[in-house]
Amino acid sequence: MPVLRAVLVLVCLALVPAPAAAASLDRVGFVAGLCDDAAAQVRAAEGLIQSAGEVPADDLAFAAGLLGALAERRLACPADGALLLDRPGASEGRDALTGLARATPDARVPVLGLRQRAAVETARGVTALLTGPDPAARAAGLAAAERRIATVPAAVLDRARDAESDAGLKERITGLAQAAALSSPDPVRRRAAIAAVAAHPSGAAQARLAALKGDPAYAADHAFRAALDAGLATVSRAVAVGDGLAVVYNGLSFASILFMAAAGLAIIFGLMGVINLAQGEFIMLGAYATYGVQEAFRRLAPGLLDLYLVAAIPVAFCAVALVGIVVEALILRHLYRRPLMSLLATWAVSLFLVNLVRVTVGTQNLQFVMPAYVSGGVPLYADFVVTWNRLFAIGFAAATLVLTLLILRRTPLGLDIRAVTQNRDMAACLGLPTRRVDRLAFGLGSGIAGLAGVALCPIYSVNPGMGSGFIVDSFMVVVLGGVGSLLGTLVAALGIGGANVLIEPVSGAVAAKVIVLVGIILFLQRRPEGLFAVRRRR
Amino acid sequence: MSGAMQTVLAPPAGPARRAVRDPLVAGLVGLCLAVAVGLLVARPAPYLVNALGQLAAFAILAVSLDLVWGYLGILSLGHGLFFAIGGYVCAMHLLSHGVAVTGVLPDFVQFMGWKSLPAYWAGLDHPAYALVLALALAGLVAFLFGLASFRSRVNGVYFSIISQALVYVAMLLMYRNDTGLGGNNGMTGFPLLFGWPMGSPGVATGLAVAALVALAVVLAGTRLLVGSAVGRRMLACRDDETRLRTLGYSTTRLKLGIWCLSAMIAALAGILYVPQVGIINPRVLAPDLSIEIAVWVAIGGLGRLGGAVIGAVLVNGLKFWLSAAMPEAWPFILSGLVLVVVLVLPNGLLDLVALRPRPTWLRSSR
Repeated sequence: MPVLRAVLVLVCLALVPAPAAAASLDRVGFVAGLCDDAAAQVRAAEGLIQSAGEVPADDLAFAAGLLGALAERRLACPADGALLLDRPGASEGRDALTGLARATPDARVPVLGLRQRAAVETARGVTALLTGPDPAARAAGLAAAERRIATVPAAVLDRARDAESDAGLKERITGLAQAAALSSPDPVRRRAAIAAVAAHPSGAAQARLAALKGDPAYAADHAFRAALDAGLATVSRAVAVGDGLAVVYNGLSFASILFMAAAGLAIIFGLMGVINLAQGEFIMLGAYATYGVQEAFRRLAPGLLDLYLVAAIPVAFCAVALVGIVVEALILRHLYRRPLMSLLATWAVSLFLVNLVRVTVGTQNLQFVMPAYVSGGVPLYADFVVTWNRLFAIGFAAATLVLTLLILRRTPLGLDIRAVTQNRDMAACLGLPTRRVDRLAFGLGSGIAGLAGVALCPIYSVNPGMGSGFIVDSFMVVVLGGVGSLLGTLVAALGIGGANVLIEPVSGAVAAKVIVLVGIILFLQRRPEGLFAVRRRR
Repeated sequence: MSGAMQTVLAPPAGPARRAVRDPLVAGLVGLCLAVAVGLLVARPAPYLVNALGQLAAFAILAVSLDLVWGYLGILSLGHGLFFAIGGYVCAMHLLSHGVAVTGVLPDFVQFMGWKSLPAYWAGLDHPAYALVLALALAGLVAFLFGLASFRSRVNGVYFSIISQALVYVAMLLMYRNDTGLGGNNGMTGFPLLFGWPMGSPGVATGLAVAALVALAVVLAGTRLLVGSAVGRRMLACRDDETRLRTLGYSTTRLKLGIWCLSAMIAALAGILYVPQVGIINPRVLAPDLSIEIAVWVAIGGLGRLGGAVIGAVLVNGLKFWLSAAMPEAWPFILSGLVLVVVLVLPNGLLDLVALRPRPTWLRSSR
């Protein structure tokens, strides 16, 4: 029925001479229509809806006043013209056309039946959408118009969209206009709408087009069918590519976090054979140091608050490196001959650190101010959005990799570390202070964990227990990559991160972890030393 | 390590006689049995009975880890997995026994909207089958994991962290609700044990006595094992695996066998533990808990079966007491204790109490 009526209205519209639509509202005729019988009221209201795309704004405001009065029973219809009352049943009102005050002796007050009410409410919605003073009023108008969107012409929605200043509302209007065009009875317009939807591919566009396959026209109209199939194919391909890019991006960001967490471990483990179970807590300390820097900026230099993440990089590195050096000097130094005991000792350190932070700072998640460069993102292709916070982590990991490689390959300390890793006894014989190298390397490894804490602040929730989530994954990275090889750590982090992200959508997060672990165990059957084993003597 | 060295160098004698000459183990076995008898006779307060029973279960767990860590040099950070296998199978037995008697389905089954227990629970209401299943399952998991690891000579810290990943993955798996094992809430509300109502004092005493007797048996049995020729090979493997292999022994088979035995003992501890606390959930699979087992052993005295028992009882006794009295301070005390033991007392608290010279009545006549 609504479709039939819409067709009728369109036909009527086509028959009406063009100037009537382009010109301003026929106020006298409109008033007379509203005061006439039910059929005339509906005609007047629907006529307004049809022409609302072109009618000047003051005419729309005029019509809105009349329609509102009619709906609220404040429109009195004496024999000549119409009166607007202040409240229902008032004895006096203003003339609708002239605005002059007049008495209303026994004037008729029309009551809306169900059918007229629907048309009048839609017309009110359209006027409110076009002339409403604030986004809330316009949104309410849009909601009213949406109920009978088939009767609202595209020109109205286009006009509303072009005039709209509120971004959210504008998007809703656009979506609604597209949907209305897609279900429009005009085949040419429908095909154009399909092409328009296909031009901006997204998951929502795909669902919208796929729903049209159930439309009767899909079976009946060949041109429509061809247009829809083509549009759907375009959108599906674009969405698949966008999703693929998103998987790669997520895998990359997960891998970079794994790498940050594991790089320090790999250096320490490679050099000293010490499993540092406190590495996760060092990451946590790095995040807390970042928080400290943020608070310091807030107190001392609120204007520069956005730069705290950058300023936190050296602070977190140095603070956590210092903690690492202290732990090494007090505890691990005595345990190099007993690696399993050093494992328990670092576990005790981690327990101590978690509870120290818990008691002194509290267990709640820390609140971080997110500077513009780590919040939001830019939609790149289809549903794929490049989020700045993940990009920050990826860039951070890449910078850490380069810097660590430079330190290991190009500095005297790096040379010492590599020498002691390869052959501790020979290095000692040649006069290298191996104990001091150990201590500095432990500081370097801990400092990298502190950097990981900085990179995590924009992505993860920061609380005392956050470190425990990384420890198992990052050890898997170290084991798979091979001890003491930063390159192996990188490849293993990319592999495990990628595998996790690839398997997760298929079989769930837990299954992904299980499969990755089983894969690692099986891999170690073939290469017990990991991917890139450093040749060495112990 | 001097205790271990002495075992290696001890003159050949019957394993039973050597066991008696370990005053610590002999004393602990006697103590366990005495306490068990005491519980039956004196009927002390229920919470004390329960605490003793739980401590005994933890001590069995510690002995199982000491067997592989102290005598084979394999530190497992995943022993919570085998403990949990025993515990879960025991809980499944208790629940299906309850269903068989009362006909009421457990909460989590109703929560998932199922009409009956999952199919693989069939037959678990028979205690003998449940016991065999728990031990066999723990042994099987240990066998597969051990085979994969020992065959490719994964050992030392590598083995430790892979076993930790194993227990971590198992925890993630058990947190899922669709496994049919209670998901994150675990299983609780056990109604009956062998037909008796669960909360009654008689059952609590019975469980505690069973745990103490099991501890005595496990302690004596493992002591016989480490005193035997196999025990010598274990120590040799710990101290120099390559040399032992060169001498023609199959270290893989040796390690695999002891590893599976240790897993089954841990499962036994889980079986005894769950009915006493009345609940099992995936938190027993947390990697931290598995590390704590190693901490008990390290604190008590690595490579001394008696030390493992003392460590487990001491740490858990302190934990029972302190986590109620001052919960904030307990983690600090525990971490301090670990650091002190690791740095100052390499053989655990047994270093404090030098048990030599041995009491004359325990000395060998030779």
